[in-house]
Amino acid sequence: MEKNEFQKLWKTFEIIAIGCVLFGILLVLYLIRALLTPFIIAFVITFFLNPIVDYMEGEGINRTLAVILLIILTLIFLFLLWKLTWPTIQTEISSFQKNAPFYISKIQDSLERAMKLLEKNTGFIPEGVLQKAIQQKINDLASGMRDIGSLLTIVKELVSTLILSQVVVFFFLKDGRRIKKVLIAYVPNKYFETFLNLIYEIDKQISNYIRGQLTDAFFVGVLAVIGLYLFGISYAIFIGAVAGIANIVPYIGPLLVFTFGGLLVLIDTGSIINLLKVVGVLGLVKLVDSMAISPLAVGRSVNVHPLMVIIVISIGGLLHGIWGMLLSVPLYCSMRVSFRILYRGFVEYGNW
Amino acid sequence: MSRRNKLNVILKKIRGKEGDIIPVLRTVPLFEGLAFRNLKKIELIVHERTFMPDEVVFYERQPGTGMYIIKKGLIKLTKTINEEKAKIAELGEGEFFGEMSLLEDYPRSAQATAVMKTEVLGIFRPDLFDLIERNPKLGSKILMKLSQRLANRLRKTTEMKLKEVV
Repeated sequence: MEKNEFQKLWKTFEIIAIGCVLFGILLVLYLIRALLTPFIIAFVITFFLNPIVDYMEGEGINRTLAVILLIILTLIFLFLLWKLTWPTIQTEISSFQKNAPFYISKIQDSLERAMKLLEKNTGFIPEGVLQKAIQQKINDLASGMRDIGSLLTIVKELVSTLILSQVVVFFFLKDGRRIKKVLIAYVPNKYFETFLNLIYEIDKQISNYIRGQLTDAFFVGVLAVIGLYLFGISYAIFIGAVAGIANIVPYIGPLLVFTFGGLLVLIDTGSIINLLKVVGVLGLVKLVDSMAISPLAVGRSVNVHPLMVIIVISIGGLLHGIWGMLLSVPLYCSMRVSFRILYRGFVEYGNW
Repeated sequence: MSRRNKLNVILKKIRGKEGDIIPVLRTVPLFEGLAFRNLKKIELIVHERTFMPDEVVFYERQPGTGMYIIKKGLIKLTKTINEEKAKIAELGEGEFFGEMSLLEDYPRSAQATAVMKTEVLGIFRPDLFDLIERNPKLGSKILMKLSQRLANRLRKTTEMKLKEVV
């Protein structure tokens, strides 16, 4: 009996120790997160390209050759995309930067007028309080707009990181299975099968999500750019690209793009017709996405209730801003599947 | 050295060393008749594990993920009957167990325990399914062998049942 008690205690200690080690690893990764960017990008690209390499291998092409071919094709695609879109992106961002003070003063004017009216009509708000608050917010917005100037540098840095990360992608794609096998070899026999199942399920969840969302984002972005361009909207590529990227964040992303795109065009041209054009194009793209692209690309990869998705994204955004919003859903799915497998392995079957 | 021998040496160098996993895989009926390049692909998904005497490979009723091939050593299979563990088989080098778990996520029907220090090669369902997706030809060969083995077992059970009835 005493021996049993001791064994139980020892097992609990083992679980806590494993938890601490995992937490330690996560903490170290968090501390060196700045160095991890090319690796994270490489991970995402690997998840995206792996099925293509697998398919080529299935067709009888040597895996190393398939990886080299695919990376060359990716680099050519990136180069062409850069050559085709960069001049327009550059012009759009520079023009946006140049016009920013004008946009801000326009927003400030209309807001101040509205606040003055509100203060006068309500009677109980002391004069100047709301106007002062608005002034403060506008100043914050102005400094934020100035930061957009660094957007060009950020895009340039992103592209160079993307090219550099191809080296890591090469090894991940070529030796990914070997790397995984070597890492799994260190797991104790007792937890081996459970761990293997866990890795497989997490891999499936994350890769399905990344693959689906990136494909979806690409098509949404391209359709939005084409639609906005056909309607002669300025900043077509800028708004379209943002629409594509924001689409990765379910529900909240598209909503933000509607607001952002609509406001930008309204302030820029002051035309309600243009605002309707932007909202119409983005709405149509979203409709096509929901009915045709998303079911095919994303499918049932995220089998999570929409309300849960919104909660998870909000928590992610609160903790880590944009990165938090982008990564929260796959992280939540991985945690959910891990809990299910661990519960089944350790609790239901008493394997611990 | 004759020209043919020289060619064989060069071919062996290109193909790479056989190592100690492929000879074990060759003895398993599931991989019977497979070419060296296919065995190499299977080698990539094989996990080598070493179990100490009395260490449990898997428990009865535990969700199964794959099969094990004994490379070196001895494995004892036991089953709980009337709350007592009964030995149902003892398996040695080259023999394999747990192959049903390659097909479905069903609880293990027996417990496997190492009798002495035992080295095993594990092949697991997720990796096998991956291999089938990547190499459908090779995958169908393995699945065919697995089905033949299960059909054989089913036939034997039916014959036994028939004998009991008659």
